[in-house]
Amino acid sequence: MGLPFIKEALTQLFSKPSTANYPFVPREAPPNYRGRIVFHPELCINCNMCERVCSGGAISHSGVETEEGELITRRFFLGACTFCAHCSDFCAKNAIELSGDYHMVAREESDLVVEGTYLKKKPAPKPIPPKPAEQAKPEPVAEAKPEPKAEEAADPACAVEE
Amino acid sequence: MFKKIIENSMAKSPWLFHINAGSCNGCDIELVAVLTPKYDAERLGFKLTGSPRHADIVVVTGPVTAQSKERVIRTIAQVPDPKVIVTLGSCPRSCNVFKGSYSVVGPLDNYVDIDVSIAGCAPKPEAIIDGLALAAAVLKEKRRAK
Repeated sequence: MGLPFIKEALTQLFSKPSTANYPFVPREAPPNYRGRIVFHPELCINCNMCERVCSGGAISHSGVETEEGELITRRFFLGACTFCAHCSDFCAKNAIELSGDYHMVAREESDLVVEGTYLKKKPAPKPIPPKPAEQAKPEPVAEAKPEPKAEEAADPACAVEE
Repeated sequence: MFKKIIENSMAKSPWLFHINAGSCNGCDIELVAVLTPKYDAERLGFKLTGSPRHADIVVVTGPVTAQSKERVIRTIAQVPDPKVIVTLGSCPRSCNVFKGSYSVVGPLDNYVDIDVSIAGCAPKPEAIIDGLALAAAVLKEKRRAK
């Protein structure tokens, strides 16, 4: 062959450029991309696990006392976030989600903050203790209670047998 | 008249200078990826320069370490005045996971004012292009105010 790579040269001449025409043609992030945090405050149970596992210290919370209870605002500062998704992995109620939105460009710090406010209700009033306590507490606590009773019941029986 | 022509042409081609203030190299690689043929920021006029004296936009990566602090401040001081400081990634904004280390004296806004911050660890090249476009707009604003 007198002309090496002639086929390659011709195909390259008539093929599209490899440059992504980004700002003019928007581009979506690949699936499961970890971008901007989305917080669902209505699902949050205030366990603070996200704050404990956050390596960058990006998550904080503050509370305001009201008549109904404590209004808690959870704050995610994306400028300190590693986007490791530990917070959403450890969230028991899936209240934290990492979306595919990667356009996190800001002139001010407040543009990089994701916030959500939820109400932590006060416990039911004291005078009628047994009923509201049972209603307020979820099922696992109710299940856990009978077990120690059974053990207690079993222990004296053992003692009697001995 | 010449001044106007120069100003217009400068607005179309802001030059970048990149400072590594103790970065883990993730953001540096992404910034270089922006200048490769795949993303090609040079078609939008951005050009990487080797000298801070030629730069309009300063891109800083990394939490400011004790070793790099003096050099970062000195290098940014050498950039001629209508300049825009862009922080790339979470580190210069807040030190990120390096916060509290004995060798980290950041974040960057202890020493200079940050104009544009690009969040992400590391940011996607598209996000960096967004950030640089915003930085170019800020630069235009600053030139007009001057």
